[in-house]
Amino acid sequence: MTETLLEVKNLHKTFDHAEVLKGVSLSVMPGEVVAIVGPSGAGKTTLLRCLNMLERADAGELVFDGEHYDPAGFGRREASKLHKKTGFVFQDYNLFANKTAMENVTLGLTSGRGMNRHKAEEIAAEMLRKVGMEEKSDRFPLHLSGGQQQRVAIARALAADPKIIYFDEPTSALDPELTGEVLEVIRKLKDSGITMMIVTHELSFARDVSTRMIFMEEGSIIEEGNTREFFADPKNERTRAFIGMNVDGTEKEEQ
Amino acid sequence: MNVWQLLIESFPRIILPGLAMTVPLTIFAFALALVIAVITAVIVYADVPVLAYIARIYIWMIRGTPLLVQLMVGYYGPSAFGIKPNGFVVAVIVFAINEGAYCAETIRGCMEGVSKGQLEAGYCVGLSYPKIMIHVILPQAFRAAFPALFNSMISMVKDTSLASNITVTEMFLATRQIAGRTYQFLPLYLEVAFIYLMFSTILELIQRRGEKRLGRYDRDVAGS
Repeated sequence: MTETLLEVKNLHKTFDHAEVLKGVSLSVMPGEVVAIVGPSGAGKTTLLRCLNMLERADAGELVFDGEHYDPAGFGRREASKLHKKTGFVFQDYNLFANKTAMENVTLGLTSGRGMNRHKAEEIAAEMLRKVGMEEKSDRFPLHLSGGQQQRVAIARALAADPKIIYFDEPTSALDPELTGEVLEVIRKLKDSGITMMIVTHELSFARDVSTRMIFMEEGSIIEEGNTREFFADPKNERTRAFIGMNVDGTEKEEQ
Repeated sequence: MNVWQLLIESFPRIILPGLAMTVPLTIFAFALALVIAVITAVIVYADVPVLAYIARIYIWMIRGTPLLVQLMVGYYGPSAFGIKPNGFVVAVIVFAINEGAYCAETIRGCMEGVSKGQLEAGYCVGLSYPKIMIHVILPQAFRAAFPALFNSMISMVKDTSLASNITVTEMFLATRQIAGRTYQFLPLYLEVAFIYLMFSTILELIQRRGEKRLGRYDRDVAGS
């Protein structure tokens, strides 16, 4: 099946006179892992939030899994329909503070999708195992490290078997020594073939995990392409400058 | 009859109306107040059209007028329509409406304090807005509001003495009646003060236990 999973056209968004998205268009095929990189303020996070209807765009078109959505004028019901097919991992985890790790994963299944408790817990246990958190399933978020919380958040996003998972800078809030465990989990997901779109500052991780790269600056997509070509032979001057500035140091030590 | 004898003899005659009136009045009124408060808080938090406007007017009017005046209006208001109200029933309703307005603001404030990310995460896992309220926002807000709500409840125990003005024979009125007969004002008022203190202390103990139970997710587990 090679039908486009996600297609967005001409997405515009302005916050208080600042034009954050200046007509962004892109499409994603099933199984792709798309990494979005770019300097702070490029509009990466806003783009991701608009794609998952956490933010209302000013204008644009969105087709997801063969269905049309209105990214500018959606209501709660329309958003909810989309949310049943997507997963979202936040920069600051946003685990439900009053729920254990296990309950964080089951809540969407039982209360959101009407699954019975027993089945939901079975699925949740499996998801927590996938992210290496099965032994801490009865802990509350406050009693977990940032990296552990983010792994639970990934399990939560995975649980409903979404068509795509959006990652919004999943390691930016973590101490450096904790980013590894989270990146490792995402790497493993790639092998399971799930479609992902990842906004990240970790260029070497993006190169490692993605099949396609998108470089954004000042609200526009400057360059996109197959990951290998993107890094080996960036077409745009600004892309080249950005990669040079951000990868040079790490590149050497990795090879 | 010496003072000590009077205090001992009057003790049951004060505490019985306390148990028969003050305690049920507080419990019924506060329970009803919590229901009103949660509904009002959610309406204002969610900014429900029209209803949020009405809720704000309700809070504004109740907080802006004295409780004693509200009791009087509640008691004499029905008389204007030829209904002779039961003082206890009026007291329960007026206290509930009054306390409901204050607690609504307490709860709403705590709801605003729950991070927006919790709401977004709820949407992202496919929960509806009401389900997010019930499972995520309200439990967290309630936990944060718990000490303040108990504060209100302890306050209410003592405010119930105002119900004596609308014929409810609660502890304070019972004390006043005994004092009026014996002219031992100071000892008897000190005695009733002591009994109010006992009731409040019991509530404080319940509060402490409750906080411990609720604290599971936002306090460090002992020893960890």
